[in-house]
Amino acid sequence: MARTTRSTKGSAATTASAKDATPASKTSAYTLSTESENPPKLFIIPKKASSEARIVTLQNPRYAKPTRYLVCPEAGFFEFTKISAPKTAPRSWLLESARGGISSSEKGLERGLDAQTTKGAEFYVATPIDPVFLVLPALAAKSGKSTDDHGKKRMFLSTEEHFDAVNDPSSHLSEILTWPSVREQIESRMAAVCDTVDAGDEQMFRLNETKLLEEILSKVKRISEKGLPKSMEEKFVTKALEAPILGIKSQPANIPDAKPIDRESASAEEERTSLQAAESADSQSTISSVETSASSVSEASTAATSISDDAATTNEVVNAMTASEEVLKLQRLRVAFDFICSSYIVPKLTEQLKAQISTAKDVVDFQPLDEYLAQLAKLRRDAAAARAPDYSRKRARDEDEDERLEKKRKKEEEDKAKKKNQSLGVKKLMKVNTTGMKKMSDFFKKK
Amino acid sequence: MLEARLDQASVLKKVVDSIKDLVQDCNFDCNDSGIALQAMDNSHVALVSMMLKTDSFSPYRCDRNVALGVNLTSLTKVLRAADNNDVLTLKAEDAPDVLNLTFENPSNDRVSEYDLKLMDIDQEHLGIPETEYAATISMPSSEFKRITTDLMAMSESVTIEASKDGIKFSSQGDIGNGSVTLRQHTNVEKTDESIEIELAEPVSLTFSLKYLVNFCKASTLSPQVKICLSNEVPLLVEYPMANNSYLRFYLAPKIGDEE
Repeated sequence: MARTTRSTKGSAATTASAKDATPASKTSAYTLSTESENPPKLFIIPKKASSEARIVTLQNPRYAKPTRYLVCPEAGFFEFTKISAPKTAPRSWLLESARGGISSSEKGLERGLDAQTTKGAEFYVATPIDPVFLVLPALAAKSGKSTDDHGKKRMFLSTEEHFDAVNDPSSHLSEILTWPSVREQIESRMAAVCDTVDAGDEQMFRLNETKLLEEILSKVKRISEKGLPKSMEEKFVTKALEAPILGIKSQPANIPDAKPIDRESASAEEERTSLQAAESADSQSTISSVETSASSVSEASTAATSISDDAATTNEVVNAMTASEEVLKLQRLRVAFDFICSSYIVPKLTEQLKAQISTAKDVVDFQPLDEYLAQLAKLRRDAAAARAPDYSRKRARDEDEDERLEKKRKKEEEDKAKKKNQSLGVKKLMKVNTTGMKKMSDFFKKK
Repeated sequence: MLEARLDQASVLKKVVDSIKDLVQDCNFDCNDSGIALQAMDNSHVALVSMMLKTDSFSPYRCDRNVALGVNLTSLTKVLRAADNNDVLTLKAEDAPDVLNLTFENPSNDRVSEYDLKLMDIDQEHLGIPETEYAATISMPSSEFKRITTDLMAMSESVTIEASKDGIKFSSQGDIGNGSVTLRQHTNVEKTDESIEIELAEPVSLTFSLKYLVNFCKASTLSPQVKICLSNEVPLLVEYPMANNSYLRFYLAPKIGDEE
């Protein structure tokens, strides 16, 4: 006779049964049904996903762990982002079946209520993911041996051959490859990053890092042009580029390309980012989901936390020199690039890509940003150095200081104890004017 | 091991009461001649010296010299539990951390016992030489107390002038001035009321009245007080007790910049 929810009739029944039950067990009027071993999960699935869509297990491209994805023959690939309420504010879902609501017919009551509560209020959002990321591990699997000669020795292989190399029994990859439309999608995406050769009726692929980089850069550019989600923008762009206050000594930064942005454009910028944060939700994969998960302290915000360390480490400074539009843009690009790399690409390949991007000046030139960052680092060092003498002096005297403080504290404690045991007369005498009176030791010599 | 029994708890009560407003912590130095105490006030302009000779106790046993570092406020609290007529016994080990006090009511066998925690007090001992004073005045302690409190109303300091005419206490203050002059006077019936002045040479010194008032708290110890004066030497105020025991106060005179 367990109830997790109440209805008018239901509660009447419950109280009646509870009355019968109370003499027997004094613990609780209501008993909860045992927890379901397979509790329901909530998913938000795109409308365009057809009924053919399946949730499958594939290798996570970054961590090489089996991960669930939603694959639809028409709509493509989706990844799941778990969004949950913070632990500090526990919530739960009340789920009722589509047909029988809580206050439904008596038939519903007979069956027991078709409603359930879940333990936590988490749900999963399916967001589009480019299948190229999912196949990258397979494409790059052999590149390990031939990294130094830039994949020249890498063979053209068919799709099957590629995937056989990384076949994992737990993965459903081979299964979904049998779906014609899925296979088509994958192969078309593979073609975007590979050199292809037609061999008979079969296409052969070979990973081309330059193509891959271009592909990624186009994604990166799209992200940064539409603006990063606000939280990312703030943490990794605004704060990372902020210069420290140097106090009175602070002089306007004399870098050629660092000119201050006026307020208007700054606020306009902000507005745009917040607007586009919403927009970007349906455009390019996970950015928006990361934002939501980051702001809701989600457990699943693996991506947001792993973003480029170098950008994250230096964010506790305050304004003094401002970054130019160009620098801001470049920083956004870099953040987006680092984000994609750290979320979807295996570390080994990431290194390669990073090395490549630093040499590929014609594609994107990070030099102004690097110059700005160097200048910023110098400013920060200077700011730290300006404060440093205090620290060093303190440190040098630390032990003495500690000792002195310790002594002082002890003395204070003693004085306090003394005061407590001081008679009124003694206190009064201490106020007596003793000018012109010599000390006793002036009259009487010490023994 | 120290064991000292006082027939009258009041003796110790009064001694401690008189000192506690002058000093806060002090050592009771116990040796085979009795229990002695020497301490200065916080400003080091006054000194109190007490001696309770062995004869004041019955019995008195002290195997080894011990210094009992005592907070006088705490001791006062403990002694408050003793009736004046109680028999008081002090006990302490050779290296004590507590002083044991027992109060026995002789009439109804009530026994109360207290342990007072002791403390280590770093105190310098001053050697006080025997001094021939220019003037020595013995007077009823109540009289001395009255003079000091009366003059306190006028000023913070008093000038004590001893001459062949007698002894004159005078104060000058904001509201005016006042003086009390005493002459030698012998009361045969009540010797305690007598005033005795021994004068070697005239002397005039100024003292802080607040300290003198403070000394007068010992008036209960003894009906007579002895005041000894000499130029350039601290004033001695002595309250003699039975068996050559005494409570002495020394006070540095005020020199120079005074009203």
